[in-house]
Amino acid sequence: MREKLLEIKNLSVIYSTEGKIVEAVNHISLDLYKGEAIGLIGETGAGKTTTALSVLNLIPNPPGKIISGEILFEGENILEMDHKNLRKMRGNKISMIFQDPMTALNPVMTVGDQIAEVVRLHDKASRKDAFIKAQQMLETVGIPGNRMHDYPHQFSGGMKQRVVIAISLACNPALLIADEPTTALDVTIQEQVLELMETLQKDFNTSLLLITHDLGVVAEVCKRVAIMYAGEIVEQGTLEQVYNHTAHPYTVGLFNSIPNFHEDVRRLKPIVGQMPDPAALPKGCHFAARCPDVMDKCLEKSPPIINLNDEHTVKCYKYVGQEGAE
Amino acid sequence: MSENVIKIKHRNASMLRGVLIRLLRNKAAIIGLVIILVLIFSAIFAEVVSPYAYDEQNLRDRFLAPSTAHIFGTDSYGRDIFSRIVFGSRTSLMVGAIAVTISSIIGTFLGAISGYYGNRVDNIIMRFIDVMLAIPNILLAISIAATLGPGIVNVMIAVGISSVPGYARLVRASVMSIREQEFIEAARSIGASDFRIIMRHILPNCFAPIIVQATMSVAIAILSAAALSFLGLGVQPPTPEWGSMLSDGRSYIRDYWWVVTFPGLAIMATVFAFNLFGDGLRDALDPRLKQ
Repeated sequence: MREKLLEIKNLSVIYSTEGKIVEAVNHISLDLYKGEAIGLIGETGAGKTTTALSVLNLIPNPPGKIISGEILFEGENILEMDHKNLRKMRGNKISMIFQDPMTALNPVMTVGDQIAEVVRLHDKASRKDAFIKAQQMLETVGIPGNRMHDYPHQFSGGMKQRVVIAISLACNPALLIADEPTTALDVTIQEQVLELMETLQKDFNTSLLLITHDLGVVAEVCKRVAIMYAGEIVEQGTLEQVYNHTAHPYTVGLFNSIPNFHEDVRRLKPIVGQMPDPAALPKGCHFAARCPDVMDKCLEKSPPIINLNDEHTVKCYKYVGQEGAE
Repeated sequence: MSENVIKIKHRNASMLRGVLIRLLRNKAAIIGLVIILVLIFSAIFAEVVSPYAYDEQNLRDRFLAPSTAHIFGTDSYGRDIFSRIVFGSRTSLMVGAIAVTISSIIGTFLGAISGYYGNRVDNIIMRFIDVMLAIPNILLAISIAATLGPGIVNVMIAVGISSVPGYARLVRASVMSIREQEFIEAARSIGASDFRIIMRHILPNCFAPIIVQATMSVAIAILSAAALSFLGLGVQPPTPEWGSMLSDGRSYIRDYWWVVTFPGLAIMATVFAFNLFGDGLRDALDPRLKQ
């Protein structure tokens, strides 16, 4: 029996600025099991990072606010924890890798200090032990230990991301959230970092929530996938189900927009239209305006979530009556 | 194990050495440092350095021009100006250093709290600072000194408090810009407390402007202290103080130029030295400027 590590239930997050209310995340639910890697895919502004920050209860407030839902981590609701317990949890049980390694490290602290800091915050280790641990962590991510006395600006982008990974794994967290960890890196370094994350995730038996807009990256690392669109999870399932038995029209559109190497393609096939303004979301299905299979009821009411089988769910009217079809 | 301990020690040593090496490579900073060291030396060993006692009056030798006996000449009471300048460096340096310490500690504290927490806290602190800023600096210092009564300690407090707003605003602005950086969010995501984030992550990143402000305000503090002394609210005679020497000699400037020139040069050299050194220190302390 797989053990649930993280349960996001019916989470909604809004940002309110100058009278405008932006509904960044709308009633999403997501489960993550121990030792599992799940990919959260969506375009810019779909609410991926907001979801990730909610898990750490780090939504900047104001302007952000979690208006409904609960996030259970090992059975405890993170959204109701007090500051002290939150601090104990952050970096220790749940840690996060940020998008841009160039800005995620403190420029005036040595990398050794920064890795040692998280160790000292959580393990009550002595200064000496923390530094030894920091050195080990650096070596784990493939950086020579003697470079721990260097400052972040003395490292390349890929190495900085390795340092960030070392910091996030130093306390052996149960859950690692990686928010577009490879977006700021070039393709070869991206490959190295992904490989490293994959190996470490298995070695440390850490669960991984990988946030990205790169379908290829997810295919490489994750077993399960969730597709986000305008603050909603529109499709969710195993890699095989989502990639090979794609159900939701948005996901279909995403795959169609990937150029095919076997054909001579002159133009890309984008999904027509723009994502709706999150401050004025349509009443019905958020994707309705761009959907090739749009029906009248799509514009009226938000579609239900339909279980195509145990794991594969899709939020679309097209599949009404096909519960358990696969 | 022991190898690792050595490495940790080595780290601190090498960090300090790096700063020193970069500082010493800067010629302007060296000039500043030398002048400051000379001043500190003469302040500590004033009795040894000065040929006369600072309050030794000799009315027969009034207004002697600079000569081998009195290299900076004598003043209206026949006191040796060089000796008085040497002793005056004690007062001036002490006033400068302590006033700056007071204002930088209070100002950094207020600015950091205000910039980090924002909103209401920020509003309350900043409106208070605005009120202080509305009163001219020297007027504020005069009123504080007048309330507390004359004396060197009160001068330091008055000058210190009156330059708090500058620090508070400066630190607040830097904290606000650094607070938005991703590494602060990263620090929060590893479970660091607010206090730790301010002390370890934000303030070290604001170091450069604070240091520049501190060196500039040593100079300003010395000048403000001089102004207070001139008004009779500062250092009481016969204790020598550059500012009061300057104002005492003011009326003789047409006939006896040396009475005002040398204390003026002393103030100028000190201000100049602190500015040069402060700039050099800023460049040396900021690892982002490392080659």
